[in-house]
Amino acid sequence: MDEIGVVKTKFLQFDGLRLESGLYLSPITVAYETYGELNDRKDNVVLVLHALSGDAHAAGQDENGRAGWWDGMIGPGKGIDTNRYFVICSNCLGGCKGTTGPISVNPETGAPYGRSFPLITIGDMVNLQAMLVEKLGISKLHTVIGGSMGGMQALDWACRYSDKIKSAVVIAATARLSPQGIAFNWVGRNAIMSDPVAPFKNGALVDDNGKTGRGLAVARMIGHITYLSEETMEAKFGRKLTLRDMDGTTYSLEENDGLGGEFEIESYLQHKGSLFMERFDEDSYVIITKAIDHFDLVRQHGDLVSAFKNIAAKMLVISFTSDWLYPTSMSLAIVRALQASKKHVSFVEVDLPYGHDSFLVPQGMPNLTRIVRGFLKGV
Amino acid sequence: MSDQIREIRTPFHEFEVGFNIIIDLIAPGTRVLDLGCGSGTLLARLRDEKDVEGCGVELDQEKVIRCTERGIRVMTLDLDHGLEGFPDLSYEYVVLSRTLQQIINPELLVREMLRVGSKSIIAFPNFGRWQITLKYLFTGRTPVVRTFPRPWYNTPDIHRVTISDFRHFIHDIGGKIEKEIFIIKDKPGTNILWPNCRAEWGCFQISAQ
Repeated sequence: MDEIGVVKTKFLQFDGLRLESGLYLSPITVAYETYGELNDRKDNVVLVLHALSGDAHAAGQDENGRAGWWDGMIGPGKGIDTNRYFVICSNCLGGCKGTTGPISVNPETGAPYGRSFPLITIGDMVNLQAMLVEKLGISKLHTVIGGSMGGMQALDWACRYSDKIKSAVVIAATARLSPQGIAFNWVGRNAIMSDPVAPFKNGALVDDNGKTGRGLAVARMIGHITYLSEETMEAKFGRKLTLRDMDGTTYSLEENDGLGGEFEIESYLQHKGSLFMERFDEDSYVIITKAIDHFDLVRQHGDLVSAFKNIAAKMLVISFTSDWLYPTSMSLAIVRALQASKKHVSFVEVDLPYGHDSFLVPQGMPNLTRIVRGFLKGV
Repeated sequence: MSDQIREIRTPFHEFEVGFNIIIDLIAPGTRVLDLGCGSGTLLARLRDEKDVEGCGVELDQEKVIRCTERGIRVMTLDLDHGLEGFPDLSYEYVVLSRTLQQIINPELLVREMLRVGSKSIIAFPNFGRWQITLKYLFTGRTPVVRTFPRPWYNTPDIHRVTISDFRHFIHDIGGKIEKEIFIIKDKPGTNILWPNCRAEWGCFQISAQ
């Protein structure tokens, strides 16, 4: 098989999930996709974990021809070879792509949860993933792998379900987000909260009162700034203008139609923000970023060495030189704590200029592919 | 330091006799930490020939990736920052081969090696050979020879260390030399007359006293 081809997202229903907060969330739907074939021994399963804005569609094409978010990594002959492995990816709890989240209907009220959706944790997302895996009849995973929030989940998997995984790959992640990271997420949530209008899912850009509901777009723009490196921005956009270069600043922005951004970096962010408004739910954004902010294995266990004491899996930690949101020092903190308790850990700092997003960009894929392929083979 | 300069560390095939010495020193079934492990050739041999559970440390990205492709456990770390995070006595052997002369602060690193490993094995090119010292004496210039193949202004070999230097150094930091093996003309030997002026390479097994 050369390509995965068109895939359809599947759904499974669960009675409910006991959240770490103690609340019981019920009922629950999980959206997931699978690629490759489960072998007879059921020991070739790789669970792929998506980041903040990802979904279950990790590889192949959906019905509209949209490629999965990690199509460069997952497929026949690729880093996670679907000729060899059975790959599962599910939309996380609190998401807006099929798994129960704020846009789901609350059975008690008959209306979507919206902002009344309970606070959830990375651990809740992981517990739901474990329920999915169990329901699919799989008792042990070959590997859990993810970047950013997905990396946090992979790390949480290793701590929480040490007997259910053989290995974990933690990419551009951290055991606890920096206050800087929390600050950026807070500004993003503020943009959403300050905007009384939710973005329109049907493509309309204004409501009856002329409000745009662009809070989510602003949040996404802030996110994008933190995912890129200065070097990439310089190389990709520099100070280039998208509009005709009018004489000095003797014009008004309106005259030059510059309200949508004059510099290329402005229109890039504008574009990314607008796309995101169409495909994402603002309450999901709030709930998921909150889960990311609260994730803290140090607070949960006293220190990282205690957090990792039960880990039996082979661990691979990957960071990127240009990632300033989840910098190498955070990956090193994980690595050193694993070393301190003599766990089987490998650590690769990959030299790529694309910032936090390095694990998603096509240019980073060749090296990342070699690393992941080699590690999976050695598990 | 550019990748290009790092590349010129004596390549494996030219140091095979050295690797054989190191492999002979290591007991089967032990844990070995190889500092500056390159693309994992020594660790792969130790795994295959001696059932060793190895871990490599390397800074060069291409080599680190080669290690993962070969199934060698590896970490991207800068040896000039010491061995923070490695627990005391967590390895039976810590190996530093062909790299001592490139470390900014050898004392820091060798003390760390003695802390982390029960035994340490260090192999380095000897700058005390008579051919080198004579050249130094007669030309008044830093010699370029096979074991120090680059001129002083463009080389990762920032220390010109002799076997005698090394013995004194280990004594000064309170270490114990357990074994000494020398390489002359690609042949190993232990009881060699005047190794400081004759050996091309020195290979020492040391431990904390």
